Amino acid sequence: MSDIYIICVEDEPQVLDVVIRDLEKLEEVFPIEIAHSADEARQLINEIKEEGNKIGLAICDHIMPGDKGVDLMIEMQKDPFTEHTRKVLLTGQAGLEETIEAVNKAKLNRYIAKPWKPQHILEVAIEELTTYVIDHEKELLPYMSVLDQERLQQAIRNKGYV
Amino acid sequence: MESRRPEKPKSERNPNVIGASARPIYDKATFVEKIKEMMPASELMSRLKQTFPEGKFMLREFEENNKLFIILDGYVSQVKEGEDVNTNIGMQGPGDFIGLLSFQTGEPVFTSAKASTKVTTLALDHDSFEVFLTRYPDISKTLQGLIFSNLAERYRKVVTLHVEVAELTKQLEAEKNHLKKTIRELERTRNALISQEKMATLGELTAGLAHEINNPASALLRSVDYLSTNLPDLAQKASALPETGLVRFFFETGLKREFAGTAEQRLKMKELAKRYPHLQRSKLRTMAEMGNDVLDRLRPFAQKEEKEEMLQLLLDAYQSGVFMNGIRLSTARIEYLVKSLKSYSRQPGKEPEVADLREGIRETLQILGNRLKDIKVKIDFSEIPLVRCFVGELNQVWTNLIINACDAMNDVGTLYISCGLADDNEHVWFKVADNGPGVPDKIKKRIFDSSFTTKTASQDFGLGIGLAITQSIVEKHHGTIEVHDRQCGGAEFVVTLPADR
Repeated sequence: MSDIYIICVEDEPQVLDVVIRDLEKLEEVFPIEIAHSADEARQLINEIKEEGNKIGLAICDHIMPGDKGVDLMIEMQKDPFTEHTRKVLLTGQAGLEETIEAVNKAKLNRYIAKPWKPQHILEVAIEELTTYVIDHEKELLPYMSVLDQERLQQAIRNKGYV
Repeated sequence: MESRRPEKPKSERNPNVIGASARPIYDKATFVEKIKEMMPASELMSRLKQTFPEGKFMLREFEENNKLFIILDGYVSQVKEGEDVNTNIGMQGPGDFIGLLSFQTGEPVFTSAKASTKVTTLALDHDSFEVFLTRYPDISKTLQGLIFSNLAERYRKVVTLHVEVAELTKQLEAEKNHLKKTIRELERTRNALISQEKMATLGELTAGLAHEINNPASALLRSVDYLSTNLPDLAQKASALPETGLVRFFFETGLKREFAGTAEQRLKMKELAKRYPHLQRSKLRTMAEMGNDVLDRLRPFAQKEEKEEMLQLLLDAYQSGVFMNGIRLSTARIEYLVKSLKSYSRQPGKEPEVADLREGIRETLQILGNRLKDIKVKIDFSEIPLVRCFVGELNQVWTNLIINACDAMNDVGTLYISCGLADDNEHVWFKVADNGPGVPDKIKKRIFDSSFTTKTASQDFGLGIGLAITQSIVEKHHGTIEVHDRQCGGAEFVVTLPADR
């Protein structure tokens, strides 16, 4: 079975540290990978693809050196490999136009404003990954331990098999 | 002025003047007709008849006059000769009197009278006037009535004129006040525009600053959260150990952590995963950050599964150091940003201060850091004397020039900032240049006009009068601002300010 990755793209090491720490609980099931820029993220996405794995969730800062977060997400939306990846924008400030662009063109799923409350990123990640596995995975039981059990059970019942 | 007066009928215009529209008491036409009828039969009247060709002066102002002319045919214009203008008083026609005032009072002629057409009159001197009155008692009554109504008409005209003059004066006064108000409003609008532009710049700055500050703030908050839950645990576990040197070592290593490239780290993580297949990814990632010498000290605990609790303890110690360091870096970042912002936006005092402007430029660059992420900034500062100035205002100048450069380069390129002492030893110059498309020659002349802008409505920030404000600030400091082509392409703005000597 291939792994479903979480990727975090953020240029500030200190912020990245705390994001990873917030998501640590998920890592027993969803490996986390990090990138400091859009360019590094592209390389990372390629590596994950070549290893035959998938990306379930991308959490991305907007203002970074080089390409902006929204640009990266639009790119991911166009690429069939990352089209269904749940996309979360994590930013201290993005203009209204950029946010609208992200929602319209990148099918942005969530927006988290910095600084965020404890647990908030984890809750968002759990919700988005739950949606991802329900939509794209046949076998849901392996995710019971870390994701939203209620929704997963509901989905299993709806699919009519265990 | 004339055209601004409302077109109203006379009677309506002067409601207080005796009925201007009332019919003359005696009918001029009947009177003239009567005289004309009698004229052929009357020797006296035929003698009194006097004609003037067109353009001939019947009376000249200030001259003596002893005749009263009654116009029978034609028209006469009356002119008052002023110092530099001749005022046309009006046209007189059949039945009107010419020379009435001077004839009655014996004073010099008040207004010149000139025949506008060929004019036929009955010209009466004092003697013939008496004779006329006795000889023709039936029409003399009409004549007296006409004289009376003529005088009344003149009086009415005078009053009307007075009222008109008063009205005009009032209108002039109103217009003067209106102009004053307009000027005040213009002044206010201009100030409002300037402060709006300032607010727009400030808006752009705060938007950038929000991001700049929210990043370290997030790191700070979450790091503190992590440490508050984990440090007590760590301390308790460490105190149970016979020797805490190793815990301390990993904590301190965390404090000094440096971030490597992510790809490199991923590679290292994969190697570690092969070497220690039983370890969780989160542990492996933390270990991948460490140098080989540090990893060596970790090896005894990483190799055996039963030692994993100790490994976790050391990694937690390391992580605590990392977060502690994060707190230190984030706090320093915020402190620096706030300090820059404070000195950047300081309110101008009443008195200028003597300052090293290189500081102001450095602060401005710090504040604008967010805009400069993809811009190389090349600074070439020579030693320069101090400048007497309002630092906050000049910071606005640097901000405007740098933001303009960023706009011109679409936020990607190189910004060149330099300063030096001018050849005259009395001025300091500052250059802000970019390698963008440059300023077209035909725009150069107008670029500092407040009405000129290249901004389009779609752009968020600023009114596009930044350069006009920049220029007014520079001029207030007795300096100059110019725009040139940079030698290797792009635009170059040069601000020259007098040095404080």
